[in-house]
Amino acid sequence: MRIKVTQEKLSKALNAVSRIAIGKATLPILNNVLIRVSKKKVSLITTNLDMAVEDYLPVSESEDGVITVPAKLLAEFVSNLPKGENIEITSKDTKVTIKAGKYSSVINGIVADDFPELPEINEKQSVVFKIGIEEFKNSINQVMVACSNDLTRPALTGVFFNTYNNTLAIAATDGYRLAEKKIINKVESEVKAIVPASSLQEVLRSISDDIEEIEISFNEDLVRFRLGDIEIISKIIDESFPEYQKLIPKNTNISVTLDREELIRVTKLAALFARSVGGSIVCEAITPDAFSVKSIANEYGENDSRIETSVDKPGKINLNSRFLLDALNALEEPEIIFEFSNRIAPVLLKNKKSNTYTHIVMPLNS
Amino acid sequence: MYDVWKNALAEIEQQISSANYSTWFQDTSLISTQDGDVKINVKNTFYVKQLQNRYYDIIKKALENNNVKVNTITFEVQASTKHKVRPREVIRSGPSSISDQINNLRGSFHPQSSSSAAKTISETGLNQKYTLDTFIVGSNNDLAFSVAKSIIDSPGTRYNPFFLYGGPGLGKTHLVQAIGNELVKRNPDYRVFYTPISHFYSDFIDAIRNGKGKEFYRKFQKLDCLIIDDFQLIVNKDKSQEEFFNIFNDLYQLNKQIIVTSDRLPSQIKTVDERLASRLTWAGAFDIQLPKFEDKCAILRAKAEQIGAEIEPEAIEYIAENVNTNIRDLEGEFSAILLMSDVRGLTPLELIHNGSVNVNKTSKMRPVLPKQVVDKVAKFYNLAPDELKSKSRVSHIMLARQVAMFLLSKELGLSTNKVASEVNVKDHTTVMHGIKKIEKCLKLDFNLRDQIEEIKGQLYG
Repeated sequence: MRIKVTQEKLSKALNAVSRIAIGKATLPILNNVLIRVSKKKVSLITTNLDMAVEDYLPVSESEDGVITVPAKLLAEFVSNLPKGENIEITSKDTKVTIKAGKYSSVINGIVADDFPELPEINEKQSVVFKIGIEEFKNSINQVMVACSNDLTRPALTGVFFNTYNNTLAIAATDGYRLAEKKIINKVESEVKAIVPASSLQEVLRSISDDIEEIEISFNEDLVRFRLGDIEIISKIIDESFPEYQKLIPKNTNISVTLDREELIRVTKLAALFARSVGGSIVCEAITPDAFSVKSIANEYGENDSRIETSVDKPGKINLNSRFLLDALNALEEPEIIFEFSNRIAPVLLKNKKSNTYTHIVMPLNS
Repeated sequence: MYDVWKNALAEIEQQISSANYSTWFQDTSLISTQDGDVKINVKNTFYVKQLQNRYYDIIKKALENNNVKVNTITFEVQASTKHKVRPREVIRSGPSSISDQINNLRGSFHPQSSSSAAKTISETGLNQKYTLDTFIVGSNNDLAFSVAKSIIDSPGTRYNPFFLYGGPGLGKTHLVQAIGNELVKRNPDYRVFYTPISHFYSDFIDAIRNGKGKEFYRKFQKLDCLIIDDFQLIVNKDKSQEEFFNIFNDLYQLNKQIIVTSDRLPSQIKTVDERLASRLTWAGAFDIQLPKFEDKCAILRAKAEQIGAEIEPEAIEYIAENVNTNIRDLEGEFSAILLMSDVRGLTPLELIHNGSVNVNKTSKMRPVLPKQVVDKVAKFYNLAPDELKSKSRVSHIMLARQVAMFLLSKELGLSTNKVASEVNVKDHTTVMHGIKKIEKCLKLDFNLRDQIEEIKGQLYG
């Protein structure tokens, strides 16, 4: 195997694939990156057996062959070489020689036979969506805040991609809050799949400035994200996601329109005092024209802030300040709607104008 | 079904490197072997190709060696077994409706006088309420259970002597008495004798005193199956231990089934003669472990079904989560709650919610500060606390440090990061490694187990 490539291109590609190979895998070869050259096509591949990343590398010269090399070592070596150097990588048996001008090193690789064979997307049976990269990034970030990291409930550790009423929506919940975002209208195909949050994080990290669109293909037990030259395949969490639409309240008694920045500020203030009581703050709608956020900490004192707004009906609810802040940060418009019914029903938060994003938070027992 | 796969896995483990084995085979299970179409469950779709292409032949051979017919092997990703919860079955024979169960249970409390099969308690020493039907199989005891079944099918052959060990209240007595009862049921002429080792002694001494030593010896010689319970209580009296040794040897020579239970391995019992200790574990030692959360739920559900009581699933989970000592305590708490719910007229869950019951059977007695733990551990190992917290890699200091980490994490429930700062180690990974090491040692090293119990005693006592 032999390839010739510039330092910038190689370093970028190695950075894209090496993150998941720097793990605590029991199998040593999983810490390696597979370099495969076949008919001028060069790809770098890593996997942690939950997902795999493959990056196609444009090279100036190549000779066919495969080899695996410790990913971290190679990535760090290449990134420390001067920019603009032309790098030549050649392999003989398991010895991999890397030459760049006056720098050269030999790394012990492992034969590629031991590298796990990766599952492939069955193109014929796959359901494909294409989404603008900004839209994708924002949407994933908006719902991923609600993901759980409780491994005993695997279904909640991922983001649920699902279609209903010809809409593609993504949702996540940890049992205390839930976020849903409708991404695409008028979809024909159907999908219901939970994609691990860890895989999505990797996808988000792989987004670079020159990418405009992401292509997502679902199979029954596999999903593939395609961003330019990079392909990320991931397992799908084989569990059923809670029927979350039932959890979103249809009607609420009290609805208040609030300035988002202002609400974030007063929630942060209240959170300072709420630390000793597990972040519990009291939100109260007071007729005719005030929304108050209060927190009481016996040791330190108390805090009470008001925001002016119009209120039809009075009401009061206890919330976890951190959950409220997460929700407010995920909302994007300057004005938001805060809806609730009574002390035990969930709070519904959404943007004032667009109705694609919904966030609900369960109240705390008071 | 599950055992076949375990055996096959054991065989595969021998053939490939441990890194490969733990990566590819750790979370596999057998779904079905119907008509030679073997289905194997794997963790996720990434594992399918690898197993298919690289390990197909090894798997096939291992299964065939375990008498499984193999035409095709398919690998599937199945959600149900990916949970930690494996479906558990309550083994039953014959009628299975709840009322039948209750009747069965009631019946089994009173020896059935009509049946000639029912020998009286004095003759066999067995309590007939212990049957295999009421023994609940979980991951903590499935191995011991399958050995028990094979003994019932062919006593005195492969698993002889059957040495069963595990902590108190985990069902050792239940299992071995159930074996005895089942053997008698299958063959009424089969002579089974169950005795705790302490009774064996007092009987022996009585016999000697009355000049009936030979008779005593003969009585045991005639047995087809001898069950000795609580072997750890064996006394360091040469004469009586020799007598037991002789009886043991004679029965063994005649291929009679011998079953022994103990709370630890023979080599860990200080009073046991080495010759005897090694003989006891000839056919291997099988352990019963603490039940996991799912096992405990299964036990309680089965118990509720047996006595026909109604209890909410949440209440069962609450009890299972809060009783962490043994099955005896688990059943005790369960009965107490049912009784209270009868008396107060509330459902068990309501009782739990309004705080009338406070189940908390862990070894925690009173709150202990992290510093106290570190100091106690240091003192126990004759170290200064600062020595324990030093960076020293001397083995006994390292062990003390790891014990401290283990206790801080398990007893006080501190996060690994907190533990790291308490014992002054670099980061949480060091702590995780330490805890893992102690956990691993605990399974084999009874000295360490005793040491940790003693430290716990000092902490809470």
